[in-house]
Amino acid sequence: MAMDVVDYEIFGNEMQYVEVELDPGEAAIGEAGAMMMMHDGIQMDTIFGDGSAQQGGLFGKLLGAGKRLVTGESLFTTIFHNEGTRKARVAFAAPYPGKIVPIDLRSIGGTLICQKDSFLCAARGVSLGIAFNRKLGVGLFGGEGFIMQKLDGDGLAFIHAGGTLAVKDLVPGEVLRVDTGCIVAFQPSVDFDIQYVGKLKSALFGGEGLFFATLRGPGRVWLQSLPLSRLANRIVMAAPAAGGSRRDEGSLLGGLGGLLDGDNN
Amino acid sequence: MPLTNARLFGPGLPLAGEACTWQRDSGVISWPTGSTHLPSTAGAVRIAGFDLLGVELTWPDTRAGAKATWALQVLSAEEAAQVRAAPPSGWQAEFSRLQSSRHARRGRQVLGWSALLLFLAAPLLLLLGFFVLADDVAGWAAGKVPIAQEVALGDASFAVMKKQLQLRDASPAAAMLRALGARLTSGSRYTYRFHLVQDKAINAFAMPGGIVVVHSGLLAATRSPEELAGVLAHEVQHVELRHSLRSLIKQMGLSAVWALVSGDLAAAAGGKAAQQMMSLKFSRDAEREADAAGFEALLHAAINPAGMPAFFATLDKTGAAPPELLSTHPASDARRRALALRLEQLGSRSFVPLPYQPWPPAL
Repeated sequence: MAMDVVDYEIFGNEMQYVEVELDPGEAAIGEAGAMMMMHDGIQMDTIFGDGSAQQGGLFGKLLGAGKRLVTGESLFTTIFHNEGTRKARVAFAAPYPGKIVPIDLRSIGGTLICQKDSFLCAARGVSLGIAFNRKLGVGLFGGEGFIMQKLDGDGLAFIHAGGTLAVKDLVPGEVLRVDTGCIVAFQPSVDFDIQYVGKLKSALFGGEGLFFATLRGPGRVWLQSLPLSRLANRIVMAAPAAGGSRRDEGSLLGGLGGLLDGDNN
Repeated sequence: MPLTNARLFGPGLPLAGEACTWQRDSGVISWPTGSTHLPSTAGAVRIAGFDLLGVELTWPDTRAGAKATWALQVLSAEEAAQVRAAPPSGWQAEFSRLQSSRHARRGRQVLGWSALLLFLAAPLLLLLGFFVLADDVAGWAAGKVPIAQEVALGDASFAVMKKQLQLRDASPAAAMLRALGARLTSGSRYTYRFHLVQDKAINAFAMPGGIVVVHSGLLAATRSPEELAGVLAHEVQHVELRHSLRSLIKQMGLSAVWALVSGDLAAAAGGKAAQQMMSLKFSRDAEREADAAGFEALLHAAINPAGMPAFFATLDKTGAAPPELLSTHPASDARRRALALRLEQLGSRSFVPLPYQPWPPAL
């Protein structure tokens, strides 16, 4: 299926949404639940699977849906097509603080490997698949698990990253060591592996875990500064209602300081 | 045949690489705005791609003063296989090295996955192993328990049970029971206590440490003291052979292992010994063992062992709802036949009938 060329605009700073402009007849697919608003003239259809062209028959559809389940996506994809006679816009919102990353799949060779659950929306024709991590160590300790998501096509895709986004271009042989969990996406030309931190003391007390993720060029990689799991962990740790302990802002009085800061409830 | 799905990275090209066509016979690599040549002196070759099916060829830029590296990636599995099958000239040695490293990697992969599977399956294997070896393990563990503790365990369980039982220990029938029991168990390392309980159900059971409980219903169902002696001999052997202790250990061990596997620690918390004791069922092996040993014990006490198989027949004749004794003591034909055979082997041996008359004794 031919890709639809879509224009887009990203709004917001830390909690973003993207508005995609669809010409009459164009369509975009969105992760179920990601839609924020849409203009008159846009029809919403929910389809089983990912809506890419290759799925023939019921079995193909079931397979596609199964893949989506494995990658942590909803079984259904929502397709938004412009049935009107004028341009219309549909907006998709990011589910947690971070950045929305537009990626032109054509410019990177048509395939992108990204962390599961990071897909937000894409031009119609982009297919979502699973990429199974064949390196045991990477699957166990690489921070992304064994299952990653693969986007195929040559249109625009929008993925979502937590915190601030870093895009790095690696020349052949260049190695970037990354904290596990901070990888959002990379070109399939990049070699994703793990590396032991090197010293026992660092491994135990360095706070970085036992392994780094290593990304070896050539190719482009997208990194996030704040994985959602880390954010969630910190919030729970700081929430007394969830059994966490209060963290005070460096008061000498410790717990007593909480009485003075006027932030009690 | 040119490869069209290759991707080239290098100086002057976009950092995300450029789609290119590789003429494999001439070594020319061309993209829309330029071309280069694969050098005939080999650079490095490695496995590439997320699915580890592609190949990557890298070589240094040969222009003076340049420090850049070129990388040519063939990521589609079919094209990579073509390249591996017929490496470019000058690169053969590198490719054969790649091949052996691929083999080594595959070996490591199989090893790693097997280790992981083993790790994940370990709890199940443990459970399976325990099921298979449960009898041996329980037997071994039971052997480690001193008799004093066994007695304490039985007493504690009986103390709980007592509240639900109507004991008739002051009756003449109970006195007869104790006398008969003493005759059967003389010389035992256990101190036996026989109890009579008012209960219509035809049942008798033994608890660890030497407690044997007989229901009045069973007493009424027997037609001779010898039949009762047969039942008692059988129950006494459950104690002597530590059957209840063994199956208790087995059950508790299994539930402990199950708790370990399932993570449900509440199930492992003990304190259910008494309930478990009441619902204890012995295995067929244990029953057969108790039959055989009970038979010998009857001979040893000079009591006619014919009462043992005879009671089976009596139970059959009553024919009503299957008595409880049979549900906890599955009476298979094999058991009965084994006893009858043993009786035949005995030949004609005469026994003095037991002196308890009239039968059944009064409660």
